[in-house]
Amino acid sequence: MFSIPVFFDSFAPLAWAARYTLLVSGLGIALGLVIGAVVCILALSRSRPLRFIAALWVSYLRGVPMLVQLLVVFFLLPVIGINVPAIVAAVGTTAIVASAYISEIWRGAINALPRGQAEAAVAIGMRPAHVWRRVILPQAVALSLPQLVNELILLVKASSLVSVVGIMEITRASQAQAATTFRPLEVYLAAACLYLAINLVLAALGRWLEYRMAV
Amino acid sequence: MQAASVEIIEVNKFYGPFQALKDVDLTIPPGQVTCIIGPSGSGKSTLLRCINFLEEYDSGEIRIDGELIGYETPGRKMRARRLREMRCSIGMVFQQFNLWPHMTARGNVAEGLIRVRGMNRAEAGERAAEALTKVGLADKMDSHPVRLSGGQQQRVAIARAIAMEPRLMLFDEPTSALDPELVGEVLNVMKALAAEGMTMAVVTHEMGFAAHVADRVAFMDKGELVAADTPSRILHQPDDPRMRAFLRTYHERNSF
Amino acid sequence: MDLIPTYGPMLLRGFGMTVLCWVLGTVFGMALGLLIALVQRYGGAVLRWPLQVYIEVIRGTPFLVQLFLLYYGGPMIGIRLDALPAGILGLTIYGSPYFAEIFRGAFRAVPPGQIEAARAIGMAEHVIVRRVLLPVGLVSALPALVNFAIILTKETVILSIITVPELMYQTQRMSTETFRYLEANLALALFFWGLVEVISRVGRRLEARITRHLVERT
Repeated sequence: MFSIPVFFDSFAPLAWAARYTLLVSGLGIALGLVIGAVVCILALSRSRPLRFIAALWVSYLRGVPMLVQLLVVFFLLPVIGINVPAIVAAVGTTAIVASAYISEIWRGAINALPRGQAEAAVAIGMRPAHVWRRVILPQAVALSLPQLVNELILLVKASSLVSVVGIMEITRASQAQAATTFRPLEVYLAAACLYLAINLVLAALGRWLEYRMAV
Repeated sequence: MQAASVEIIEVNKFYGPFQALKDVDLTIPPGQVTCIIGPSGSGKSTLLRCINFLEEYDSGEIRIDGELIGYETPGRKMRARRLREMRCSIGMVFQQFNLWPHMTARGNVAEGLIRVRGMNRAEAGERAAEALTKVGLADKMDSHPVRLSGGQQQRVAIARAIAMEPRLMLFDEPTSALDPELVGEVLNVMKALAAEGMTMAVVTHEMGFAAHVADRVAFMDKGELVAADTPSRILHQPDDPRMRAFLRTYHERNSF
Repeated sequence: MDLIPTYGPMLLRGFGMTVLCWVLGTVFGMALGLLIALVQRYGGAVLRWPLQVYIEVIRGTPFLVQLFLLYYGGPMIGIRLDALPAGILGLTIYGSPYFAEIFRGAFRAVPPGQIEAARAIGMAEHVIVRRVLLPVGLVSALPALVNFAIILTKETVILSIITVPELMYQTQRMSTETFRYLEANLALALFFWGLVEVISRVGRRLEARITRHLVERT
């Protein structure tokens, strides 16, 4: 039978473990933004080889399940002589995967801007660097913010997969909890509630940003 | 086919606090063409859409051949089935054509015959072919809407309506979405239909059509029916200042 | 290379299992999503609200946690499923809200005039759904449906965690027996990469074929 006390007792340890969920997804998106920007620049560049590299990067990372990528990175690092804690591998993989999606979000946002705007800026004699800094980027960033929040929500959910390499985030903690209490229903339900709470807050943030940008 | 008459009696229609139709009275006699003109937002499309109850009027009566549409008795909604029966003898042509994009021209025309009239495929296909031939599209039967020009699409839409053998046709700005050079082909089909003695109610901005084809012209402004009379009296001797102002903008736009 | 005779059949079975889970999960998930979208459109506010909550809850939680709830939590309330049916049901539930939202958006994109035109000739509502709303809506939903179906291929690997013997599961078994962890996972990654590329291409072909009458020739 479903036990309400067990359900509520599960929250405290899981909420403590949530710091790893937030760490992995938060750092993942932060680094993903940086790498994603680089990939986006490559994708928009005039050089064919650079564009090809960007396309390959995006295609691989979007084509391969994150769980598989996680294991590849996890087993690859020691082989090439890099010995780092599992958490670094987890954050790194998350960031790399996120970079593929983020670069696409940015590319889409830049392409969504009416061409005429850049032409208008060039027509009044602005230098290309200024066109980018003053006209294109501010709008593209604003346009992409809601989607980036959405990407962060996806990362929060995807971070459950790093439980597989032993990171004590919400999912791993709930597995451990379920194993000791023999109450998987209550424990996993509590875990689901925690994820839902985090994502509802993020979704509200996204709506707020969208509203702010629309004005 | 016999032509129907329409009586519109003190019809009111509200969108929240906004009154779109104010005590509108209008009779459309059988076999005649009535054009409804007026500035945009005057309620003329709303009135037309009330005639087949696509738009629900709030009070008053609209009777097709004496039969109330939309309500059993004033205030009590009509059964959906009965409403559908009445609608299938009222043809309607829309500004945006509204053809179904996944069906060919012939499929568009046959669809109602099959699904509403319960005809078998072969019979419906034949009837659809006749209707399309009548609007001059015998060679476009198997084309999908995207392959047709606006004028051709609108003629398919007219064929779709007349194939159902309606007793009354409603036209809601049928030429407003067309490039100027395509307007004529649609108006010609409408003229031919009028000549056959179809009862027609036409919301339009084509003053030439109103002047030459209509038996009566009704002028609407701000939800009110200001006047309904012969085309010459409405278009050439308007006695209401609003009508004069409306017609003046037309003359100015078309004089060059 | 001597691994192939030993593990080939096992991997092949795993791949078959992956395809099975993917196909059934996608088909059932799509059907459930379509049902939800239709009920939300025609069912009135009483049904719309609970369904919206369902959509938000499923979309707000990780697939893995949903699977744990179903597979490990389910027996506590009398839902006892083997790994495979639990996995397929899990995929169905997980995918349904995304499919529902795709259909809902697509229905909303059907020009209202096309539905009015059907009403104006006296077509019954259920006929309008079947003959106008569904065909027109499905076509505009197609790219998003294909896209999400591709996302689901990738989600099938998560079923390995609840011991569904699909490709990922078999790959892990092989790698623990041979200690070739990196090679096995790298091969799996490349395999999925190719698979997803192929499915995307087939999907685009399919789209072009279905919409060939609906878009202007360029």
